[in-house]
Amino acid sequence: MAETKWPGCAGGLKAVVLDMCGVLYDSEPGRTVAIPGSVEAVNRLMSSDLQLRFCTNETQSSRDKFVAMLQTAGFDISVSQIFAPAPAAVAVLNERGLRPHLLVHDGVLSEFDSVDKTDPNCVVIGDAAEKFSYQNLNDAFRVLTGLEKPLLFSLGQGRYYKETNGLSLDVGVYMKALEYACDLKAEVIGKPSPRFFQSVLNDMGLQPHEVLMIGDDLVNDVGGAQNCGMKGIQVRTGKYRPSDEKHLTVTADGTVDNLSQAVDMILSQRGG
Amino acid sequence: MELNIPQFDPDEEEQANRKSRREAAAEVQGNMSGRRALKAVLIDLSGTLHIEDTAVPGAQEALNRLRQACVAVKFVTNTTKESKRSLMERLHRLNFNLQEKEIFTSLSAARRLLEQKQHRPLLLVEDSALEDFTGIDTSEPNAVVVGLAPDHFNYQTLNKAFSMILDGAPLIAIHKARYYKQKDGLALGPGAFVTGLEYATDCKATVVGKPEKTFFTQALHDLGCSPGEAVMIGDDARDDVGGAQNAGMLGILVRTGKYRDGDENKIQPPPHLTCDSFPDAVEHILKNLL
Repeated sequence: MAETKWPGCAGGLKAVVLDMCGVLYDSEPGRTVAIPGSVEAVNRLMSSDLQLRFCTNETQSSRDKFVAMLQTAGFDISVSQIFAPAPAAVAVLNERGLRPHLLVHDGVLSEFDSVDKTDPNCVVIGDAAEKFSYQNLNDAFRVLTGLEKPLLFSLGQGRYYKETNGLSLDVGVYMKALEYACDLKAEVIGKPSPRFFQSVLNDMGLQPHEVLMIGDDLVNDVGGAQNCGMKGIQVRTGKYRPSDEKHLTVTADGTVDNLSQAVDMILSQRGG
Repeated sequence: MELNIPQFDPDEEEQANRKSRREAAAEVQGNMSGRRALKAVLIDLSGTLHIEDTAVPGAQEALNRLRQACVAVKFVTNTTKESKRSLMERLHRLNFNLQEKEIFTSLSAARRLLEQKQHRPLLLVEDSALEDFTGIDTSEPNAVVVGLAPDHFNYQTLNKAFSMILDGAPLIAIHKARYYKQKDGLALGPGAFVTGLEYATDCKATVVGKPEKTFFTQALHDLGCSPGEAVMIGDDARDDVGGAQNAGMLGILVRTGKYRDGDENKIQPPPHLTCDSFPDAVEHILKNLL
């Protein structure tokens, strides 16, 4: 019988999915800094027989700009390998024939270029940062209340994140505000939504047990992947906290110091 | 979607509490023989005495008749932006006889809480409401008060409020209305922003306005009477009548303002009385409760 425990299970893997921020790089004021060993670790995965995909909840920039930003930090990744909430939302909108009112960051608007936005019949919110003004939220609220069946999509549901000048409220807070005001439940697109992980699996044509997710966010990366039947490994970089290792509801299949160590362990199980 | 305007929705935890409150209120009602004589009448403003710039027909006279009886009167309202003075001025323009000190609002309740706890608030309220907080120390704030402040509800200010709450500052909500009606349509109420901050910080806000029990007991406090000696008249079944009855008062629902057919069936126990308008409520009090 095939080994199911980490790291033994790595022998039977066909693909690895990596979270990006906190696994590959850290954001510093005005620049992106690779986490030591991560550039080389990605290159080793790329030259192995494993398929590789990247899965991010980044919604402040389009994938084009994101790839260019990663390049400056030394990563050579193509747009087609990256799964982000905005393009996933576009797929949902197209599939269901929906025309969105957008409340998203200017940096990610170009991902929605192909979508018809006239006479909106749903609202999509992302981490709009400075654009989260009363006026803009009220506009979104009015679109929702004007619909017979109000439909709200949220690109992620994070509470907050750390920036150089302090903590910033994330999209989840504004999602909750609109949910309360309109008495509805938003559909979350992005991690930890099973649909998001499933779209990555579909792209590779693989079954969940053949795929391993590596991330720094215990609930969204590790827990989300596990809910889909994938293995989930947490790295002790990025937003990792020691308390994650005794979390009440999510237990990682393994915890490693960083991506480089994870890749060492995976490749050594494969005799490489 | 169906909208009741403006609407409050008690959070789930409160709904769980409701049963026990309901039982307590039922006890009070069932105990009418032991009820002491009526000493005070609390009266809602908008929708009960007036609708926008028009007085409810006969309401001024009815108020005067009530004042001639041996009973204290207080005007209670949920507002996030109007000071007591501006409320009074509007009612004076409509020829109602009342004084500023007879008005108790959700802003007054917030002020009282701040004074009791000696908090120094970051006030997210409209400038027009600031005068009700005159004299409150706002230097180095250690509490967050959320009213309705479209000018202040921006990314920076909310991030600041959030960081303060994360550092232990209490979150105080003037009330939790989902939305309110503006001339050009519906607009987001304070409840949306309070809920967002609750989610971000994993804490519960202290709500001070109607239908909170403390709102009613504070309004009665100055009059030196207990809930069992008071009646509330309002047009909002949940916030006025339900809230007052949960606090141990009697509640009279008037069919003016935001009243919609069947509203009296939305609360348990039902209103002590449902009547057409404020003058009928006064008539009932003068005849049956004094």
